[in-house]
Amino acid sequence: MASITRASVSMPSLSASVNQSQRRISGMNSVSFPVSGRSMIPSLRLQRGLQVCCAAKQETVDKVVAIVKKQLALPADAAVTGESKFAALGADSLDTVEIVMGLEEEFDITVEEESAQSITTVQEAADMIEKLVEK
Amino acid sequence: MLSFLRRSYLNFSFMNPHYCCLSRNFSAALPPLLPVQLPSRMETHLWYVVPDEVKSAPLLSKYMELLPQYERDHVLGFRGDQLQKSALLARTLVRTTIARYQVDDHLDPRSLRFKRNIHGKPEVEWETKDGFCPPPLQFNISHTSSLVACGVTMNSLIGIDVEEKRRRTKNNILAFAKRYFTAHEVEHLNAIPDSELQQQEFIKLWTLKEAYVKALGKGFSSSPFNTFTIRASSGIAVETLDSPQNLTNNWQFALLELMGSHYVAICLERQETGGAGKALPIKLTARKTIPFVEDELVSGTNAVVTIGGSVTQF
Repeated sequence: MASITRASVSMPSLSASVNQSQRRISGMNSVSFPVSGRSMIPSLRLQRGLQVCCAAKQETVDKVVAIVKKQLALPADAAVTGESKFAALGADSLDTVEIVMGLEEEFDITVEEESAQSITTVQEAADMIEKLVEK
Repeated sequence: MLSFLRRSYLNFSFMNPHYCCLSRNFSAALPPLLPVQLPSRMETHLWYVVPDEVKSAPLLSKYMELLPQYERDHVLGFRGDQLQKSALLARTLVRTTIARYQVDDHLDPRSLRFKRNIHGKPEVEWETKDGFCPPPLQFNISHTSSLVACGVTMNSLIGIDVEEKRRRTKNNILAFAKRYFTAHEVEHLNAIPDSELQQQEFIKLWTLKEAYVKALGKGFSSSPFNTFTIRASSGIAVETLDSPQNLTNNWQFALLELMGSHYVAICLERQETGGAGKALPIKLTARKTIPFVEDELVSGTNAVVTIGGSVTQF
């Protein structure tokens, strides 16, 4: 009895974090495992396992977009998405280094030269940030 | 095929329709490019275009026609008129410049092929033909929205970088330098009390460092900026951190001020030295061009002022 009570008390917080994870995994319906009353727990573990391979959170992408727009002095309504290439937006090598520096400050990370060189789009930057932040 | 191209070009908003009165000059084939002799072993040729001076939509259309489809797509991939125009002029400048040297009879800028070395540095891919020995022509391009430049040598690896003198960093200069430059360079910048001068010194240092890495041609990650110091007290030299006592003698530098508005840094592989290992000055010929329209020899004029390194202008 006690364990069931504990389980039911902790359910709301589990479901909150499950919802957050669901946002990362687009198109995944992860809360439908037909296991007994503790169905939330196996699904959460499964989601955690999947997290590593998923694309960056939208809020990370949004922050990268903001830093890029600021560095390149683009208008706030300029269409910049995950697929946008820095070079195509007008970033030269100095801009790119400044963008990386801005990302380091915003996310409190250090980006090695090798990694910095391989970032060409907003999405790549966001994915790299999430990998570094996870460490 | 041509009408399809024409249809696509009319959509290029960077081609200002106000200058259509010039169209009569370009309705026929383009005039020939002024041929030029290959640089000698000791010479460096610098060619540049000022995008603001190229306003004719039909001329820009003709430039577009010189490019293979994948280069046109690349140009059109840039966001906005100004970026597309300078990207187009960069490709045009490199193709027309190399074509001028008439390395192969009737070399057409259209027919040049380019490839990248294993590190990504662009090179000419010469046609393999019987009896044709490709020349050891080296080139490098750099561009900003306000200047497109191409450096050419015979044999010497070359890297060039151009930047507007007034370029401002978004980040604080010293914070940026501490993160990316060497301690010596930070010290050098820190010692400059005037913020305007400090900004200019930073830009000079940046262009010199870029030019060095581009000359090496191995990609930026093989020579991170904090692994080598540019010393520019008397003459300009590079010192790599792994052999600090040994100023790396293989490379020589020139720093120019172009049209009073831009810095141009050139880094060359040293070919020969004078007596006792002393470096010979860089022999530079600089030309401003609007391909197929006009060429102007500007070396030795106040359009090109040597501000660093040992340079003789011809």
